[in-house]
Amino acid sequence: MFAKLALRNVKRQIGNYLIYFITVSLTVALMFAINNVIFSPQLQEYAVNIPELRNGLLTLTVLLSLIVALVLGYATSFMLKLRKREFGTYLTLGMTRKNILCLFILESLILAVASLLVGIVLGAFVYQGLMALLSRLMEFAFVFSSYSVSGLLITIALIILVFMLASLTSAFYLQRVRIYQLIHGDKKVESGARHPLLWLIVTIISLCMIVLCCLVFYKEVEATILSYGEASEGLMFLSLLALAMAVVVFHIALSRSVVSLLLKNKKFTNRGCNTFTLRQLSGRMNANSLLAGALSFLLSFAVIGSNISFVQKVSDQASLEKSYPFDISANLDVDTDIAIDFPEAKQIISEYTHIEREFYYDIYTTRQSYLYGFTPWSGEGYNGLWDFFISESDFNLLNQALGWDTVDLHGRFLILTDMQQMMNMDFSTAELNVGGRSYAYGGTSTDMPLNTYTYFVAVVPDEAVQHMHVQLHGVAFDLQENGYDAQNLRKDLSYTYSSPSGFRFENTDYQIKEYARLSRNSNSAVFVLGALYLSVVFVFMSMAILALKTLSSLSEDKPRYNILFRLGATEREQSKTLFWQSFAFFFLPFALPMLLSIPSGIICSHIMQLNGFTPQSGEVAWIAVWIAVVISMIYLLYFTATYRIARRNVIYS
Amino acid sequence: MPDILQVHNVVKYYGRGNIVTKALDSISFCVDQGEFTAIMGASGSGKSTLLNVISTIDRVSSGEICVEGQRIAEMKEKQLSLFRRDKLGFIFQEYNLLDTLTIRENIALPLNLKRVDVQTTQREVMRVSTALGISEQLDKFPYELSGGERQRAACARAIVARPALVLADEPTGALDSRNSRVLMKTFQQMNRQLDSTILMVTHDPVVGSYASRVLFLKDGRIWSEIDSGGRDRQTMYQEILTVMAALGGETGVR
Repeated sequence: MFAKLALRNVKRQIGNYLIYFITVSLTVALMFAINNVIFSPQLQEYAVNIPELRNGLLTLTVLLSLIVALVLGYATSFMLKLRKREFGTYLTLGMTRKNILCLFILESLILAVASLLVGIVLGAFVYQGLMALLSRLMEFAFVFSSYSVSGLLITIALIILVFMLASLTSAFYLQRVRIYQLIHGDKKVESGARHPLLWLIVTIISLCMIVLCCLVFYKEVEATILSYGEASEGLMFLSLLALAMAVVVFHIALSRSVVSLLLKNKKFTNRGCNTFTLRQLSGRMNANSLLAGALSFLLSFAVIGSNISFVQKVSDQASLEKSYPFDISANLDVDTDIAIDFPEAKQIISEYTHIEREFYYDIYTTRQSYLYGFTPWSGEGYNGLWDFFISESDFNLLNQALGWDTVDLHGRFLILTDMQQMMNMDFSTAELNVGGRSYAYGGTSTDMPLNTYTYFVAVVPDEAVQHMHVQLHGVAFDLQENGYDAQNLRKDLSYTYSSPSGFRFENTDYQIKEYARLSRNSNSAVFVLGALYLSVVFVFMSMAILALKTLSSLSEDKPRYNILFRLGATEREQSKTLFWQSFAFFFLPFALPMLLSIPSGIICSHIMQLNGFTPQSGEVAWIAVWIAVVISMIYLLYFTATYRIARRNVIYS
Repeated sequence: MPDILQVHNVVKYYGRGNIVTKALDSISFCVDQGEFTAIMGASGSGKSTLLNVISTIDRVSSGEICVEGQRIAEMKEKQLSLFRRDKLGFIFQEYNLLDTLTIRENIALPLNLKRVDVQTTQREVMRVSTALGISEQLDKFPYELSGGERQRAACARAIVARPALVLADEPTGALDSRNSRVLMKTFQQMNRQLDSTILMVTHDPVVGSYASRVLFLKDGRIWSEIDSGGRDRQTMYQEILTVMAALGGETGVR
């Protein structure tokens, strides 16, 4: 009998349940899609060798589960609120609490099963979309991706778990709630905030904290990069933590101050329905201040996370060009056994692709650390760091090969580095004495045509290297085309290295640009996809909760707007009032995260500049703008849909 | 006295196709300025329907209603809103105060909608709240007041903007007999001291006896009419009972 009644109730209340159904279906779809991505063979194969990735994916699943639990818990409480009065009436008619609980759980179950099915179908498409994006980012051919049983089972298990938890909470509530509360609960008015002035002070202090945290973070990032990653990162993380707390506190305080203070402004409240709008917001914002803080934190995370993920991508691409000026290069140390020498390497490479050009050069050393004395990498802990040199003619040979300008040293020496930070180091007093001649400092350049594992190399006139020891033999190959199997080429150019402690691993002396590109692409793909996915989930969750909150209060709003109608408020005035009421509620947790796009963009752009990627810094700033625009558009769409539903129900009903 | 309200041959049908109910059947009457009129009748007699069409919440099927010479049947939705705002005041059985607003804000709302300046609004709110004895309750919320106080607050809101006509739909329906008497005295006070024109729907003969004129409805038509003509309330009450007995309706005595 209950099943029949529950089914009839679901049918009858389909309009009210629609938002619940959509929310749960989309949550299931997102969950199912990401679980399938995590268990996809492509990603699993990739994750085998990277424990951090496996841990990251696990963290992502746990985080997502918590979010799903929160959204579904919220959606269930929305349903319960919607039916409170009806359940109260059932109780007065003689139904037992157990009967009502059975009925409610059955109804929720029907919807949960329907949402699960629709969500899985929808998720199947989302999964293919995510895999298409992943394959594009990781540069493997996209084929129809198979679905994972584990992904499906985890999704179902999670939804069942959350459903059971939500049912238990509902059971607990229905077991204890008084009939009066069920029937007359809606009549209780949410009270406004107390001590609005105090909360205003907290709002201003937290806003100052947000600005201060951004400034401290900016300075600390700069200091960390300029100190070559050796500065303490404690303050940087502390500023991020303080920022997160300040964002939450700011929204709690703002929710409790601004409306109450506006209500004190007689001139403002005296106009049209302003008092009504503010009173509608006052209690609601006060009651939901913590929620606004939490949502703004998630949205801030979405904005900052998306920005960082794109910076990572752009930075990876830019640094690849800088770190790998040639397609393949190698520096073989004369003091160690050479596993694969240049002729053998050339032969191996030729089996994969045609070598167009090849250049040979030597790296020299004085076996001294004179130049390192002008850098932070000298003294205790840096013993054994020898100065390395390249001759002017070898340097110009590589420059010419790359189409870069050649240099004329005029008896001076040049510091060559790929670290932008070294531009600020003072070598002006350095005077290099080699073979009875001295060479003055002639400048620092970051246009490095070779890839060495040293902080810097000094370019000296050819006669100077005559008095130095050859330490490395270098080679640079330019290939005709890059569409070869870089993974296997790297394998063929690798050898097994045994460390003195007995540890053995695969190693290669040859740096292959194409292999590095694919490898970086894979890393950034997982990073970008993960960050973007989390951002989407956070934005979606925030919107869903705000929409549910707005729509669940419609039953209370309807009679209030009816009174406005009878008092002579025009349809336009009522719509305007409802718009501001909904907009302020939606906008509150959204505005600050969007504003945080500005410091995020500035900091990311600055990071790019500090790392020597000035041309890409503008691109990063534009990405920040685009992220803000895209999130705003999604938000606006969701708000518009919610507002239109609310208007139809409250004003036009 | 000029006519504030003119109802001429008003007909109202409900339903479609074969199932049609004639709720109002060629009703005509006028209400003068400063008059306190009650409409009485049994359940289903059409009194609430009549109030709804006069208050522009519902449309007539045919006939004409004029308030201060303005024909409401010809008005568009926006004009009707402005008409309600400027010409009508409402008092309902369930008070219909906005629970989120204080009493002061509730009373000021019609003036806010008319964009009246702050000083005038405050002055008018004080004027009506003092006259109705609720000036001490202005900063409280509706749930903090008794039923009688709430209804007086609703009265204050209905008359604060000096409407041409105050419409009351079973205003004592949610009140006990003592509070009903207090409210009816308030109505008389509004009518005599504040010069409000009141049209009230009720089924209670005691409440009806406070009016200066009573219209009796039966099956959507005006069946009878009583004018107090300066007689005392008790006499008016007795007459109402007599008419109601003849009508065959309710004769609830409090």
